[in-house]
Amino acid sequence: MKILNAEDKPTIMRKLLPIIAIFFLFGCDKSSSSDSSAYATGGGKGGSLARFTVVGDYLYTVDKQTLKVFDIADPSKPSLKRSVDAGFEIETIFPFKDKLFLGSTSVVYIFSIDDPSNPQKLSEAISPTVMRRCDPVVAKDNVAYSTLRTNGPCGGTTSVLAVYDITDIKNPVQKNAMPVGEPYGLGYSDTTLYVCDRRYGISVYNISKPYSPVFIKGVTTSSFPNFIDVIAYNTILICWTSTGIILYDISVPQNPTLIKQIS
Amino acid sequence: MRYFYLLLTVLLFACDPQWRNDSRFMAYAPIYVSKEEANQIGAEAAKPTVLPGKIYAYGNYLFQVEQNHGIHIIDNSNPQQAHKISFLNVPAASELAVKSGFLYTNNLDDLVVFDISDINSPRLVNRVENAFPQISQEYPPLNGAYFECVDPSKGVVVGWEEKLIENPKCRR
Repeated sequence: MKILNAEDKPTIMRKLLPIIAIFFLFGCDKSSSSDSSAYATGGGKGGSLARFTVVGDYLYTVDKQTLKVFDIADPSKPSLKRSVDAGFEIETIFPFKDKLFLGSTSVVYIFSIDDPSNPQKLSEAISPTVMRRCDPVVAKDNVAYSTLRTNGPCGGTTSVLAVYDITDIKNPVQKNAMPVGEPYGLGYSDTTLYVCDRRYGISVYNISKPYSPVFIKGVTTSSFPNFIDVIAYNTILICWTSTGIILYDISVPQNPTLIKQIS
Repeated sequence: MRYFYLLLTVLLFACDPQWRNDSRFMAYAPIYVSKEEANQIGAEAAKPTVLPGKIYAYGNYLFQVEQNHGIHIIDNSNPQQAHKISFLNVPAASELAVKSGFLYTNNLDDLVVFDISDINSPRLVNRVENAFPQISQEYPPLNGAYFECVDPSKGVVVGWEEKLIENPKCRR
């Protein structure tokens, strides 16, 4: 008996399942499209599947049940300030304004970092019935985009790109849902949304009307690698693929053009 | 008789592989890192990416985890000519973040800090032992999967690979 379909589960993905990526994006204006206040203090920019994140003078990490806070005011000497019992099966961490969003296999935990050394659990606000597990999310002002994937252990019946009104972060309201192939991480630049659609490449959407994304095109390379996550970084789109890294020029955000493959 | 052969053919194809002599099937095998390996840490010559992991952008540099082995350091000052500078060998690495010229990653269960202010010679400057005891993985990523039982004498399990395994004994 074959337990799993090997072709459908390339090695690179195995460790990633199940995934919840919370990828909140910041601000609407062009100038802030690549960086946010969270990164303005000497930090870099990670993808939507990270377990480490730097906010100000603190490094936050998640490992299954624990959120750890390291003081890195002296960046060469991290000192563990606190270990917080966060929940279960935590997979990802992402900062959004003064909050940390921890994605687990079943729910999204929200922590306040008003006091950055002492995160306080606010809620398990985004429940699995609204944004289910394995759902990467990006948010822009009052809108969140989430890809709901159905393969692997994540459940569900159709893979969709869903759009939520998050004016009340504790009570997201679904506004729209459109079918996609097999989505993983996602990212955004200005009014363009990039969704990694694994073997289908990157799906590019116009989000000028935030609640009504318009599919523009799919982008991939001749070798058809699997696309897993993206970082929109200034005018470059950095893609994590099954072959390594692929860089696209996004000076014109809706028209990514291949620059370089690094494998 | 023709129908008998047809039936026989159908029955043969319906057979589960375990009914035949071959008792191998797709299951999970642990990927170990021994304690001795875990201590070999530091910069090496650039090398090809085999199992690409997480990505990170910092200034003119890109970083990509080589799953369970370390971090590729890439010069992106001119994206047209982006290229690998070196490979930071960090056994069992899976995560990374950077702040103000210091790179944080995990070496097995320890948090380690590299000074990368001179990108050509990253230096290990600090280690917080046992910061992430839960990164070690006792079980494969899927419930219900068969897997090769873990042998702790071989080291710490840092991941799982799927392959043909002779009669895997464990199941979760």
